[in-house]
Amino acid sequence: MSEKLKVAIRNLNVHYGNKQALFDVNLNIMEKEVTSLIGPSGCGKSTLLKCINRMNDLVEICNIKGQILLDSEDINDENQDPVLLRMKIGMVFQKPNPFPKSIYDNVAFGPKLHGMVKSKGELDNIVVQSLSKSGLYDEVKDRLFEPGTSLSGGQQQRLCIARALAVNPEILLMDEPCSALDPIATAKIEDLIAELKQQYTIVIVTHSMQQAARVSDRTAYMHMGELIETGMTKSIFSNPQHEKTQDYITGRIG
Amino acid sequence: MISFLVVLIFGLAVYGFILNSSKARALAEFNILHSQPHYHGLYSAFMTIVPAIILLIFWSFIVNMISNITLKDFFSDVTDDGLVKFYTEGVIAYVEGTTDRIIDHVGFIPAVEHYQSLQSSNQILKFAVVLMLTLILFKHSLKFVEVTFKARDFIERIVILVMRASAVFAIFVTIGIVLSLLFETLRFFESVNVFDFLFGTHWSPQMAIRADQVGSSGSFGAVPVFVGTLLISLIAMAVAGPIGMYSAIYLSQYASDKVRSYAKPIIEILAGIPTVVYGFFAVITVAPFFRDMGTFLSFTNMSSESAIVAGTVMGIMIIPFVASLTDDALTAVPQSLKEGSLAMGATISETTKQVIIPASFHGIVGSFLLAFSRAIGETMIVVMAAGFAANMTFNPFDSVSTVTVQIVGLLTGDQEFDSPKTLSAFALAFVLFFITLILNVISLAIVKRYREQYE
Amino acid sequence: MNSITARNKSEKRFKMYGKVAVTVAISFLVILLYNIFSSGISAFKQTYVAVQLDIPANLDKKTLNPRSELNKSFLKMFPDLQSRAEKRAALSLLSKGARYEFKDLLLNNEGKDLKGYYWFLASSDLDMYIKGTVKRQGDTAGRIDEYQMKLIDILQSKNLVELHSNKYLFSSADSREPEMAGIKGAILGSLYAIIIAFLVSFPIAVMSAVYLEKIATKNRFSDIIETNINNLAAVPSIVFGLLGLAIFLNFFELPRSAPLVGGLTLALMTLPTIVIAARAAIKSVPPSIEEAAIGLGASKVQTIFGFTLPLAMPGILTGTIIGIAQAIGETAPLLMIGMVAFVVDAPGGPMDASTALPVQIYLWADSPERAFTERTSAAIMVLLGFLILLNLTAIYLRKKLEKKW
Repeated sequence: MSEKLKVAIRNLNVHYGNKQALFDVNLNIMEKEVTSLIGPSGCGKSTLLKCINRMNDLVEICNIKGQILLDSEDINDENQDPVLLRMKIGMVFQKPNPFPKSIYDNVAFGPKLHGMVKSKGELDNIVVQSLSKSGLYDEVKDRLFEPGTSLSGGQQQRLCIARALAVNPEILLMDEPCSALDPIATAKIEDLIAELKQQYTIVIVTHSMQQAARVSDRTAYMHMGELIETGMTKSIFSNPQHEKTQDYITGRIG
Repeated sequence: MISFLVVLIFGLAVYGFILNSSKARALAEFNILHSQPHYHGLYSAFMTIVPAIILLIFWSFIVNMISNITLKDFFSDVTDDGLVKFYTEGVIAYVEGTTDRIIDHVGFIPAVEHYQSLQSSNQILKFAVVLMLTLILFKHSLKFVEVTFKARDFIERIVILVMRASAVFAIFVTIGIVLSLLFETLRFFESVNVFDFLFGTHWSPQMAIRADQVGSSGSFGAVPVFVGTLLISLIAMAVAGPIGMYSAIYLSQYASDKVRSYAKPIIEILAGIPTVVYGFFAVITVAPFFRDMGTFLSFTNMSSESAIVAGTVMGIMIIPFVASLTDDALTAVPQSLKEGSLAMGATISETTKQVIIPASFHGIVGSFLLAFSRAIGETMIVVMAAGFAANMTFNPFDSVSTVTVQIVGLLTGDQEFDSPKTLSAFALAFVLFFITLILNVISLAIVKRYREQYE
Repeated sequence: MNSITARNKSEKRFKMYGKVAVTVAISFLVILLYNIFSSGISAFKQTYVAVQLDIPANLDKKTLNPRSELNKSFLKMFPDLQSRAEKRAALSLLSKGARYEFKDLLLNNEGKDLKGYYWFLASSDLDMYIKGTVKRQGDTAGRIDEYQMKLIDILQSKNLVELHSNKYLFSSADSREPEMAGIKGAILGSLYAIIIAFLVSFPIAVMSAVYLEKIATKNRFSDIIETNINNLAAVPSIVFGLLGLAIFLNFFELPRSAPLVGGLTLALMTLPTIVIAARAAIKSVPPSIEEAAIGLGASKVQTIFGFTLPLAMPGILTGTIIGIAQAIGETAPLLMIGMVAFVVDAPGGPMDASTALPVQIYLWADSPERAFTERTSAAIMVLLGFLILLNLTAIYLRKKLEKKW
């Protein structure tokens, strides 16, 4: 666990049209740690996550004010290219979304796109490495050219993780990655997260407090668009400072 | 007389409706009927009208056939079928008073007398029998009003029968198309060899109208016509394909909702403009445009009815088909795929080219096939902008002719219905129908296969 | 590493192709409409020439020969004309229809004086010159020769040539003389045909759709019917024309060129379109409503007619209107069944030989006379006007009836 600041979110206000989704959010994401965002439905955790890799740019009516600094550079600056940004930040979605291509082509998509490899051999290497990192390689090594959609739910999600890792990102964003999976697949992914954090900074949105408690180093609690409290996971869960945090954790609201 | 009968029947039906309904309503005061009163009324009305009308129509039809056949006997010495028909129609028209003309044939007067006596006895008999049937059924239907009588079931079964007949009617239409085309096509192939038609390369359907007229013999090699159709349709697809596809891509991937909500309907308007208007547009605007361009670029041998004019205008007409179907295919791709690709740092164009289009490929192919099928079946644009001479060429600046133009040319105007010239039109139509059918079936199969991927 | 600038450039190019494509498509539409509109607008006015008449009230108008009387009056306005050629040139400035107008004038003014200037229809050559479609070149303009040009200049200097609104366009049927040609016959023919097409296809189509959606069991047979209908919708319209020719004209021996036959043929063509739209509309009615009705004891047929159909009506009507709009513009099938002959009288009923609006457009477009070009465009404007009206009705219906549930 390092004390280096990877992503600094300062005074972030987000509007969807007339509706305000995030109110003055200030948050620090530390390098090579797992930070989890928790809170009841509609509290804005997914919105916050998507600001980090500027996926909200796709939504016409979304209006972003404030600063998001990646390694001290404002990602929303006019000179910043979202394409480059997204090379540094990988994303895994709630429902696994492998491309209707082969397993190999799914993982190879990113490296080929960004021109990261010069030979087929290098590409093969990256594919194998990424699949290994996401713990999927052994299960698919004999059928790399079958469609990605032929895998089970849990495998598909690990494929998506491998795909994200293939471009060698610095940060991995995970939006409720296990909500569509059964407990066994969930456990596998949680183990994976524990391994991955040695190399990558991970931010995970989860609606399960227990999952947050299991996998994350730091936790941020959000409520109706506001960041209520943030701190080391252990202390948030054992000794929350804020009343709203306490209510959520003890199940009075949610 | 007949109209009086029909009025009588309807009158009885209404009367029966009222009678039965009120009887039923009276019963309903004290009992719970199976069927509501108006169903009982309907039962009576139905039984009064329908069998009677059916009998009336049937009777008239049969008598008509019989009298035609017997009338023909009076002109048994005439060899020309058409002339016999003319005579018999003349007899009928004379008796009915539509004309005063007496036909100069020895059999005319006896035929007239025969028909007159036939008609008078027929009318009386028909009137009597139908009336009797109506009255019997009318009285009969009045007896049925009871608590347990399932009038509603009866009526509803009739309704369902009518519905089933309507649905089956569609099949009859198809059968009708196939049979009528096939029949005449086969007759065509009695005079002209199938292989000569399908593979022959000289098309000039001049044929003697009457057997004793000297005329040049016809050539019915249809390949130039097929080539012309293909050429113009390919030009059309070359215009509509890129414009339609890129429009669909822009509107579905890039455009804001507001732009999309205006642009899409406007492009759809192109599909609603009647093709005769496109044909006119081709003649007054597009043809001069290409002609001027031709002289500007010093193409001296450009025909005024060149394939490129017809093809371009047809392409404009097809743009909305390609655009709309491609748009459907593109938007059917789940948003999550697009998000996944963009999250990895792909640009929208890269996402479209590498993820979305491959994912919707089947749908896009299907839409192109459907558009192509539409192009080859199109008539008015080519009739007005392309030529009638079946030239065999792939040069877009030459004048060519298409299947549809030939069909129109061969069947409008005065020609005998049976000559190989007019029959060749049916043969062409049969080929056209067959090809568009196959294209349609293939395209639907392809689209269905791609739809299954997402369901 | 793929250069990020190269990728961004490629992205910009791709987006631009898209924008260009949309713009091109829309500009095709604009160009087409502009051309039609600009060439057709002039047809709504027609050139008239003022002729000085001097017919006293007491003269028995029935004894007058309209043609020679009119000619006499017209020539009196140009006393300098000597040769027969000059006189012929002068008279040909008037339309052949002018004598009928004169006749009407006489009939309507029995017992009254006819003194002063009265307006009469000019020939189409003069009309084309006045409207500027045919331009003046020195002393001539198109088919107008020097004699006529001199007379025209005189007439114009005295303000005896004017554009009035073209009453022939809507009140008369087709004619060999463009200035007297109108679309009344075509409109009536189309109207009869469309009404018949609607009356025949609507009930059959709705009944089929109801049967297929609600009553038939999903077996091989219903699949065949379904595939059938979908295929029929894609059959080229000319094939339907041939079907009409073979069955209605040859087998049933109905009168050729009659709107009845046209209507029946169009009905067969519109049938699949309405069936498909009706099925979609019926499918979208929530089953909960039907379940409620059946739970209360309604029979299947009662549920369909009492609940399902009324709720599906907006969708069915919208689809029908769209099908009708397509049918109105169809030309090829009508050509096949003969509604293409040159017919001078407007049809009295659906059994009279007639033409239809799109066919009239086709016939006029084929004519080499310049005057018919503007009329063709005008007829197209009328046709497009109907179509716009129909589509707006469909959109209005959809919006209005959608709110109810």
